[in-house]
Amino acid sequence: MDYIIEMLNIRKEFPGIVANDDITLQIRKTEIHALLGENGAGKSTLMSVLFGLYKPEAGSIKLRGKEVNISDPKTASRLGIGMVHQHFKLVEDFTVLENITLGAETVKNGFLKMDEARKKVMALSNRYKLYIDPDAKVSSITVGMQQRVEILKMLYRDNEILIFDEPTAVLTPQEIDELMGIMRELSKEGKSLIFITHKLEEIKKVADRVTVLRRGKGIGTYNVKDVTKEFLSEMMVGRKVQFTVDKKDIPPKEVIFEVKNLSMKTKGTTRNALNNISFKVRKNEIVCIAGIDGNGQSELVYALTGLKHFDEGHILVNGEDWTKKSIRYRNSHGMSHIPEDRHKYGLVLEYSMAYNLILQSYFMERFQKYSFLKKKNIYSYSDSLIGKFDIRSGQGSQTVTRSMSGGNQQKVILAREIDKNPSIMIAVQPARGLDVGATEFIHKQLVAQRDAGKGVLLISLELEEVMNLSDRILVIYEGELVGELDPKKVTIQELGLYMAGAKRDEVKA
Amino acid sequence: MEMLYLLLRQTMFFSIPLLIVALGGMFSERSGVTNIALEGIMVMGGFAGIYFINQLQSGMSGQLLLLLAIVIAVAGGVIFSLLHGYASINLKADQVISGTALNMFAPAFVIYLARMIQPSGIANVSFKNTFLISKVPVLGDIPVIGDIFFKNTYITTFVGFFILIVSAVVLYKTRFGMRLRACGEHPQAADSVGINVYKMRYIGVMISGALAGLGGLVLTIPISTEFKGAVNGYGFLALAVLIFGQWKPMRILWASLFFGFMQTISAAYSAIPFLLNLNIPSEFFKMTPYIATLIVLAFSSKSSKAPKAVGQPYDQGAR
Amino acid sequence: MNNQNPINQFLDRLSRKKGTASLISSLTAIGIGLVIGLIILLITNPEESIAGFFTMLSGGFNDGTRSFGNVFYIATPIIMTGLAVGFAFKTGLFNIGASGQFIVGAYVAVLIGVKLPVLGGFQWVVGIFAAMIAGAIWGAIPGLLKAFLNVHEVIASIMMNYIGMFMVNYLIKQTVLNVYTNRSLPVAVTANIPKMGLTTIFPGSSINGGLLIAILFVILMYIILEKTTFGYELKACGHNRFAAKYAGINETRSIVLSMAIAGMLAGVGGALFYLSGAGVYIEVVDVMAAQGFTGISVSLLGMSNPIGILFSGIFIAWLQIGGFYMQRYSFVPEFIQIITAIIIYCSAASLLIRNYMELKQLKKDEKLSNIAQSDTADIVNGKKEGGKN
Repeated sequence: MDYIIEMLNIRKEFPGIVANDDITLQIRKTEIHALLGENGAGKSTLMSVLFGLYKPEAGSIKLRGKEVNISDPKTASRLGIGMVHQHFKLVEDFTVLENITLGAETVKNGFLKMDEARKKVMALSNRYKLYIDPDAKVSSITVGMQQRVEILKMLYRDNEILIFDEPTAVLTPQEIDELMGIMRELSKEGKSLIFITHKLEEIKKVADRVTVLRRGKGIGTYNVKDVTKEFLSEMMVGRKVQFTVDKKDIPPKEVIFEVKNLSMKTKGTTRNALNNISFKVRKNEIVCIAGIDGNGQSELVYALTGLKHFDEGHILVNGEDWTKKSIRYRNSHGMSHIPEDRHKYGLVLEYSMAYNLILQSYFMERFQKYSFLKKKNIYSYSDSLIGKFDIRSGQGSQTVTRSMSGGNQQKVILAREIDKNPSIMIAVQPARGLDVGATEFIHKQLVAQRDAGKGVLLISLELEEVMNLSDRILVIYEGELVGELDPKKVTIQELGLYMAGAKRDEVKA
Repeated sequence: MEMLYLLLRQTMFFSIPLLIVALGGMFSERSGVTNIALEGIMVMGGFAGIYFINQLQSGMSGQLLLLLAIVIAVAGGVIFSLLHGYASINLKADQVISGTALNMFAPAFVIYLARMIQPSGIANVSFKNTFLISKVPVLGDIPVIGDIFFKNTYITTFVGFFILIVSAVVLYKTRFGMRLRACGEHPQAADSVGINVYKMRYIGVMISGALAGLGGLVLTIPISTEFKGAVNGYGFLALAVLIFGQWKPMRILWASLFFGFMQTISAAYSAIPFLLNLNIPSEFFKMTPYIATLIVLAFSSKSSKAPKAVGQPYDQGAR
Repeated sequence: MNNQNPINQFLDRLSRKKGTASLISSLTAIGIGLVIGLIILLITNPEESIAGFFTMLSGGFNDGTRSFGNVFYIATPIIMTGLAVGFAFKTGLFNIGASGQFIVGAYVAVLIGVKLPVLGGFQWVVGIFAAMIAGAIWGAIPGLLKAFLNVHEVIASIMMNYIGMFMVNYLIKQTVLNVYTNRSLPVAVTANIPKMGLTTIFPGSSINGGLLIAILFVILMYIILEKTTFGYELKACGHNRFAAKYAGINETRSIVLSMAIAGMLAGVGGALFYLSGAGVYIEVVDVMAAQGFTGISVSLLGMSNPIGILFSGIFIAWLQIGGFYMQRYSFVPEFIQIITAIIIYCSAASLLIRNYMELKQLKKDEKLSNIAQSDTADIVNGKKEGGKN
């Protein structure tokens, strides 16, 4: 069998860990080859090695049977390897055309000469049905179009081996179907594809073969037709995985959190970031806000938690008007917030774990007297939470938070937010970037909160998470709530139509 | 009328160095490196250029000497700026601290050197000003414009405008400019398409060194007859010009003209009967450019269009 | 790998302390700076270079108790300006305006020292308090501009330096000018800070009670930063302003207060210098107060830590005294500024050394603890992502 590219016995170490331990990956010509593994299994590292971003300690790479030395992305590109990164690598301030041509510009005497490039791009765009507006600034186009720009970037460079790194994370189910179509089309046209993912459904749909990684090791390569999803998931995680969360049926009780006609303007435009949003969360209920990234979720969270001022509307907690309350009041009177970006908002990475656990309560009497910190109390409190939430670290409460693993950092936030004993818990993408074990733990904790009579507002982009956890789904599209759905009745396809704005109902609180 | 022309010409003397240095800062910051060391680089470049003139003026004079001095000042600035590049690009040091260190180093080093190498042992380097162009043929006869730009002027004024045009073209119309901007906005994206971010940033810093070094010389020539090892905060004013100019060449021009005018008022108020008659103490005129800077920044900083990745060291390993 | 050995255990504990890494990187920077300084001397004046270099290193030993005491006299104001820079740095602000804050504080202190002998024994105390207020106002202005209008504090405080310098020149001419010398008038005897017995230890030197006041502020700042909720808030803002906001900390207030306190510290520095009784007067010249810029060096070398600043202030004063005696040979005192600048440059770069040490520590911890490997991959990622907020 002809392999177009082979990565043989690759080993890559970072200080303290072996990210790739003797991994072999062989891609056949024109196949779609899935690379399956959890967060942290070593997929990204392996691809970075292929891309020349990391130098492996051992192993070799063969292109069409001949050994090659890929020292930097430029070489990779010259050899015909291209990649759509999970976080798009686009310059927001540049136009679509500029982004596609960047690094491979057409010039005459050193001056930019965009006409030829434009012709080539538009031809590719039509041929693969990758519709774009070449003169739009990237900052003003949709995520879907941004992804098409990324694909065009590879095609423009005549790449033969195309790597897709978690390409579906930001798309609606319909857009995902569309992408799968494009991927099949590309392979039919002679391109070879590597498809990095942790979603089994998509592998079954589109891939020919799959290589599974776990904890830096290669577990095996299989024909997708010959294996079941269950088998793949067991290979990926190393044990049997329960996909659904155990959740008792509890009828929700009285309203605990209410949002009325909330609107937020966007500076400089007439379009509102948030438009007339109203909803309620009741005790013993997990309400999920579903939607594609960038449809106003962040603004909504900022408005609810007080991080950003909004223009109209009201927020009520237990019947009390919180519209004008400070962040500190919200923090200390029953609102918990697990932020989307735990490094930006959730933690002071330079502080010790103990100091992070008191981030919103350092001023309370138990932790200070005459504004002097009571270190003894702080550390004993921290020690107790470490025990309760099984937070692991090198030096206990004294550990500098930066040096902790992502899963344990998230546990620090979770411990802090749960221990506040809130009325309403706002959790934004709480499992982002975590492995299956940590995700399970977080999900169980959220359900436990709901069972204990709290209201939980979950903002999530992961449809699986949405379907598994929520008691009620609200769909947000372009800053408006466009659907209220029952997870037991709605299908993923239908949910997708709402998320894409193709379908909408009136949503009343 | 002659008074007005004098004022406008004077404004040019102050604006041109600001323009040149701010454009230099623009290249550095557009590539993603904060360059607070402009002040120090100006001192180094100014010293190199003036000392060169000081040494050669016995056998040479006029425009050729000045042009050679420009080359020396540029070279001095580039070499000194490499220190900033090395700290902020290779060592990923705090760019503000590295710049501050260079700002402290330059004036002390220049004074030390001047005292060590000049037989007189004094810190100041003097020079004969043989560079004034009293009137450019033909162009100087154009009414108004001729009076402002082409009489009692220096070749450096034209060099300044030339640099402005070249800068604007390079930044927006060339492959190099596009790649440089990409490095300042989103270095990871630039890297992923094979652009060497480190190299582009080095070039950005070196251009800023070249132009700041030149600026040190251009500032000194028209307004003094000796170099005293200082440029009186001009490097920082150029940074303010850069911010007020929103990192765009043409806006930088307007900003530097405004600041140059402010500087003219502070330096030349005693020659302006109207201002002199106000009986305002000289210290207040001297404060004018600095207060104006604060006020202008207060109004223009809220909506800053700084390159997104400026000041952040780029680490190829981090993605 | 023998961790049972008590010496190893001690070294391990020591290397875990943040301070140890800072100290090592500072010492490395000093070492490199001195070597480069020596090279400059060797190139520019080979005959006298060795003698000059050792004169510089000898610093306070050059002239017995007199020069030794003068080290502390020189150190006093730059410890204060060092604190002014370092304290703001903890809140993530680069206060390059200590020079202006220093000089307005100095002016107010001198004004009271000249005009209000009626205060008697309290005159110097009132002078210092007034300097605190003046410095605080001067520092608060860039703070306000930063907090409310997003003006870059570096440029704003530079501008405040110039404005302060010209304004003080004007005010001296109006109020306390000695027309013959073109500098400020001498202050009343009661305006000078008492010697507090220090001259009996270091006879012949200009040392005075100002040193003890500076040390008092060092301790005070250390307590504020490390022991109080206020320090907790300021440092949270400095490390991660977004997380600080999330925690409900008022960032605007923190920025303004931090800059005001920084300005206050520099202002006190001005008072301590000009009320030292050593016969110094404010000159009416267009030159900025050098102590303000030296304060930047002091703070950076002391890693913004108050205790570190105390020692680095004394160290730099030591070099300056050495530089003074270097004039016995044909060297100019500017040489010290060159060396200091090189040390700062190296210390900016030497953060690398610190990061390297932290990374090594991390590696060690990894081997000891048995965190699941999939999680440790995040450590590498987490370290990078969190690099700059």
